[in-house]
Amino acid sequence: MAATTKLFRKSLGALTQIQQYRSIAKLPTSASSAQRNELFNLEQRRQQDAIGRVEKIEVRYLGLPEDVTLVMNNNISTPYNCAQHLSEGHCKRSALALIDGSVPWDMHRPLQESCTLQLLNFNVSDPHIVNKAFWRTCSFMLGAALQRAFKQEANLQLHSFPGPNIKSGSFVHDIVLGVQNWEPTKAEMRAISAEMVKLAAQDLRIERLEVDLDLAKEMFSDLRFKSEQLPSIAQQHQSRVTLYRLGEHIDISRGPMVGSTRFLGKCTVVAAHKLANEGASNAFYRVQGVALPTGFALNHFAYGLLEQRAQKLNSARLPTEPFEEQRQMQLS
Amino acid sequence: MNQADVSKLISQLRIAVRPNKRHLKNVDGPEGRLLKLRKTVTALVKHERIELFYNRADEARGYAELLISNAIRHGDRHKATMELADYWLLEKQLVHKLFKVLVPRYENSNISYTRMFKAPRDYPGIFYRKSVLELRGNPFPVLTPDNSQNRNLLHNVLLDEARKEFRREKLANLANKLAAETENATPSTPAQVPVTEQPEQSEEAPKA
Repeated sequence: MAATTKLFRKSLGALTQIQQYRSIAKLPTSASSAQRNELFNLEQRRQQDAIGRVEKIEVRYLGLPEDVTLVMNNNISTPYNCAQHLSEGHCKRSALALIDGSVPWDMHRPLQESCTLQLLNFNVSDPHIVNKAFWRTCSFMLGAALQRAFKQEANLQLHSFPGPNIKSGSFVHDIVLGVQNWEPTKAEMRAISAEMVKLAAQDLRIERLEVDLDLAKEMFSDLRFKSEQLPSIAQQHQSRVTLYRLGEHIDISRGPMVGSTRFLGKCTVVAAHKLANEGASNAFYRVQGVALPTGFALNHFAYGLLEQRAQKLNSARLPTEPFEEQRQMQLS
Repeated sequence: MNQADVSKLISQLRIAVRPNKRHLKNVDGPEGRLLKLRKTVTALVKHERIELFYNRADEARGYAELLISNAIRHGDRHKATMELADYWLLEKQLVHKLFKVLVPRYENSNISYTRMFKAPRDYPGIFYRKSVLELRGNPFPVLTPDNSQNRNLLHNVLLDEARKEFRREKLANLANKLAAETENATPSTPAQVPVTEQPEQSEEAPKA
């Protein structure tokens, strides 16, 4: 037994080093993050308690195996609950719901009135809505992965991610780092990709919550960029802000996103480009990656071409450009 | 050495044969077991796609491969092959199908003649694993999903865009090259031509 472990250690020396580094990196979950989660939980509970008397709605499900009408609870039942009435396969496969034939709806967002419901997966004949949601989720997950990968000393601040554009070939997350001359090595990129894969393996549910501007400001009070962005976002949505949570990671996004991190299949974080200096010692970086949903098998050569293309700087609006316009882009 | 080349005596199967035994016990003993396998091979040749328990399909598959392979190698004038076909095919009209339909179909194929898929089993039901066994080139709709046709699927969108960008770059390179050539062609004095050629090459190097 001891001999085998020794051999194992010797052959995978590099891997264990990375793992040790990661376990160190994950330890300091900052107090602010814990506080943010606490506020998120409280608000979630408050909204659930505020429902009061349970009202019934009729949800007309359209699709396989047959069209049915389900009687669900208003403001409590989610499309996922509807899928639970259908079959386990529906629960596992459905990434996004479509309300009244046109409105994309998160799988774990409570329904608010009687409606028709379609469940979308990545294999439907016209999957562009769910593809877009997937691409947005990838950007969001990249933020979570970066937060896990970097140590506290790196001084990482997430800035934002532009609206999903699959045709650009890469999903993007803009960050600010405490170094001005970071040129990421292959190993570093691989470590971040590994964090993405780990997130996917954890099968974390992606939660959605709408909050007031005041609460959002309180939650993001210690994050400079987020609190700068908040007023203009709220202005466009009747002073409401939509938040998404994945494990411990909370970010602002318009949504919709896919129901779980499990839908991320093959994934590579390929490049981090420096955009501009920020202040005396910080700098903006654009982290880019490419991913496919689970169940899509693509050969290595073809996937390699996609990776090569994703390495080029994505032309989406830069975080240094005027803020309002950029925000509109992000919310599209 | 006068040893025979074994690979020429026996047809080499194009499938991986599981070396351990399958549990196909039968009340009639080995004869009953063989009869079951003969029935399976007959049904496969007759219907071209059958759904059955995994072990039985897995074992019958090897015999079906051997039968088709021998039929292709020796043709219908070979006594031993005819006896083999007579043994495995319980319905004798299928012997005609073997030599007149299946042999022409697989003559030039360089992959296995059959395909096997794992099938879902009923729940709750008998625990045995199930499978689908089929002859290649059968007339039924394919069982595996085809992700290459729908160009809206995510990987196809990405690949199409990558292809477009590649073509765009290639065209741009071509246009640059042409522009450089016409620039060099316009100075009419022939003495200048060798002089201008060198900067042209050095210009193009960073582009490529």
